[in-house]
Amino acid sequence: MTDDQMGNCGSDCEDALERLEAFLDGELPQDDLGDIEQHLADCYPCTDRASFEEQLRAIVRRGCTDQAPPALLERIRTHLGDASVS
Amino acid sequence: MATPNRTIAAADDRSIPPPSPMIEMSPVTDATTGRPADEEAAATDEAGSPVRQELTDAQRQARFEAEVLPHLDRLYSAALRYTRDPTDAEDLVQESMTKAFRSFHQYRPGTNLKAWLYRILHTTYISMYRKAQRRPQEALQDEIDDFSFYEEVARPGTGSAERAVLEQLTDDEVKQALAELPESFRLAVYYADVEGFAYKEIAEIMETPVGTVMSRLHRGRKALQKALAEYARSRGLVDADTPEGPDGTTPTTEEQP
Repeated sequence: MTDDQMGNCGSDCEDALERLEAFLDGELPQDDLGDIEQHLADCYPCTDRASFEEQLRAIVRRGCTDQAPPALLERIRTHLGDASVS
Repeated sequence: MATPNRTIAAADDRSIPPPSPMIEMSPVTDATTGRPADEEAAATDEAGSPVRQELTDAQRQARFEAEVLPHLDRLYSAALRYTRDPTDAEDLVQESMTKAFRSFHQYRPGTNLKAWLYRILHTTYISMYRKAQRRPQEALQDEIDDFSFYEEVARPGTGSAERAVLEQLTDDEVKQALAELPESFRLAVYYADVEGFAYKEIAEIMETPVGTVMSRLHRGRKALQKALAEYARSRGLVDADTPEGPDGTTPTTEEQP
């Protein structure tokens, strides 16, 4: 990768980076998808940026998966039984 | 008529929020059959299964256990993000489950069960904890908008260095970094990145306009990146001498050979 590929490489990139977050969140309107998909296919630095942002989401997802304590499940079940009867 | 009743009066608990008819969102079709959810419900009724309001207590509990309890790990994870304390998180989930069970007859099959449950979790959290605290909502500093982990860590010629750095961060560091974000930003990031909710769904769960969700999400992610970059730097994963511009970004793009 050369230095000039590291960051802002033109107005197309600015447009793409501006919309990257919504794009990765699946929130871009259908009509806007073609432009950014085409740009990402053509522009390595922006693709690299996109995959970085995706990885960031992935590590948050991975880091925040906790298991409920088994005792909690039991307590809830017992409680539901009581609530049903009352 | 198979359409479940949506105007049932509140159950015995007055503190239960309204049945949130606004959380009738995306999944219109049943994932397994591909049929419209309402048609599925109608088919079930024709097959002789009682409509929800006519379920016995035991049947209602069985359905609740079958449909809701599989989400328990996820709800507990969310509760940990709210309370940041395992004991409080258990209490929050238990109270939320009690409320959800009492209101279960108000839940419409085929609508978004997950969003309905998180909505209950959110309102329960507010009534259990936030009211007691009466703390003003924390904010993020304005300069957070300019921060970018990517630009901070990316170096000419290093290719995917920034991804290698992310890879080395531990789950505990990620949890801690998220926990340190102000509440509304932390929850927006959690709901989007971990639970994969759409902006509109997050807005409904957190009772905020969609624009507010987008802004919290954007700034929350920036702040999270900044916290993670600080962890990375303190562990020597990133060059501690990183030159920073006045706005906190690194002027790497200007360093031409």
